[in-house]
Amino acid sequence: MNGWTVAATATLAAGVGTAAWGVATGPLRRRVVAQNLSTSLACPALLLLSEGYDRPSYVDLALLLALLGPVGTLVFARLLAEELAADPPHAWGLTYAVAGFGAAVVIAVCVAAGPSRALVKLLVVGTLLIGGNLTASRALSGGFAGSRRG
Amino acid sequence: MNRRTTLLGVAEVLAWWAVLALLWLVFISTVNTLELVVGASAALIGAFAAWGTRRAVSGW
Repeated sequence: MNGWTVAATATLAAGVGTAAWGVATGPLRRRVVAQNLSTSLACPALLLLSEGYDRPSYVDLALLLALLGPVGTLVFARLLAEELAADPPHAWGLTYAVAGFGAAVVIAVCVAAGPSRALVKLLVVGTLLIGGNLTASRALSGGFAGSRRG
Repeated sequence: MNRRTTLLGVAEVLAWWAVLALLWLVFISTVNTLELVVGASAALIGAFAAWGTRRAVSGW
């Protein structure tokens, strides 16, 4: 038990737990945002666990999640384009808060890793995490004309 | 393809290869000869795929 695992547990319980609740209840516009944010929260949790348990292989899981999470959201944005166009989600405050949290976690694990190849890998994960999250959020709120064609 | 487009294509594949090989080098945990050979080969396949995809999308 150390600070990293405590932070990871808090992220999983408060963040991913809340996101799971958001996915399971409420109107569609809230569900899709929660679905997008669940992977954006699980990825930093994996980075924290990797640091806490000193298992670098967990970073590979975070990398996959950062890459495939937004792809999954884009599939939802495409399939639900008509419903979302009628009732588009507006949760930019929450989206930027989660993106900021992801950036803070990536910076913290980068500082812990020190200058090395692992640091560059963490920066790639962070870029994919935040860039993918913002791109997927924009697609959900109808920011890309192509995603409306269904 | 004329001489100019061939040179441009070779340069593009080489650029893709360099980027992808560097990415592989960053992602692996231990650097040894086998990893480098596999990484360089996979990056070359990826470079041709990226070049072909880019040509299919942009049309030149």
